[in-house]
Amino acid sequence: MMDVRELDELLRAQEGDAGCDAGVPIMDQYVELELRGEDPSERFPGTAIHLRVCPGCRADHDGVLEAARRFGGVEPD
Amino acid sequence: MSDSWRVAAPSYRKRVYDRHVGVDQRSAAADPVSRRWVEQLHSSHPRYEQAAARLHDVLRRAALHELHRRRALLPSLAGPELDDVAQQCAHDAMLNVLARIDDFQGLSRFTTWAYKFVIFEVSSKLARHTWQRLPPSRTDPEWAELPDMAAGVRPGEQAENRERLGVLRNAIEQDLTPRQREVFVAIALNDVPIDVLALQLDSNRNAIYKNLFDARRKLRGCLAGAGYPLTDEEAQA
Repeated sequence: MMDVRELDELLRAQEGDAGCDAGVPIMDQYVELELRGEDPSERFPGTAIHLRVCPGCRADHDGVLEAARRFGGVEPD
Repeated sequence: MSDSWRVAAPSYRKRVYDRHVGVDQRSAAADPVSRRWVEQLHSSHPRYEQAAARLHDVLRRAALHELHRRRALLPSLAGPELDDVAQQCAHDAMLNVLARIDDFQGLSRFTTWAYKFVIFEVSSKLARHTWQRLPPSRTDPEWAELPDMAAGVRPGEQAENRERLGVLRNAIEQDLTPRQREVFVAIALNDVPIDVLALQLDSNRNAIYKNLFDARRKLRGCLAGAGYPLTDEEAQA
């Protein structure tokens, strides 16, 4: 069954969405803010909106966050 | 293990050597561990080979972990093939990291910055792998299947939902541009991953996303214009 809420989700398009390219250079900074317990949407509001609606960018974000959590403490020597 | 990134290192080494002072200035804000990474990945550093090998190894592990995390997308990939893709991702990410290390400004930890490159490689390679195995019908606009909006709701709501669905069908067929229709049908209705469609249409993720965003906004406008707003804001507009 599909109701109005699901249709709203299917057609989700939110003003202020920064798009895919805007998140590429700042993805690492975005993730670091999250790891420090800060809210990245304050500094990068357009990317925060975008990550809620773009599955491709959200998957990349989740991957960077997971890698930083799991392997973040690695040192060069 | 492929070490061909080492072959590419001389041009990188020369470039970084020429700009060594600049690198130090740009990464001055970095935390101590990140500064050590940048310093040791400088070709003149006595620990260059060890640091590069260590980075390559951790990129490979991060790629393998990410491939396992996304394995549902590619059930056909397993075992040695996954290891091989992880190796390729680490190799290509390594080249990117070394080529762009001048750009590292210390605004995040060096490793987080480097993981970004390997995760993007995983996305790109998985999209290509999926594209090569995707049934052509999934990106065919004629193949669209709108979900059933009428099942399981009260009779009055069924009628309204059917009418809303009819407006949406018409808007998809008549109000979207051919490109918007193609993108909307593939991604929103047929669940084609955006990177796969970008490959199919010889485009890129950002351009495809813009098509999708514009299509969705236009369809919402059509529904609201026909008396079926999806939000209170649209009802008041």
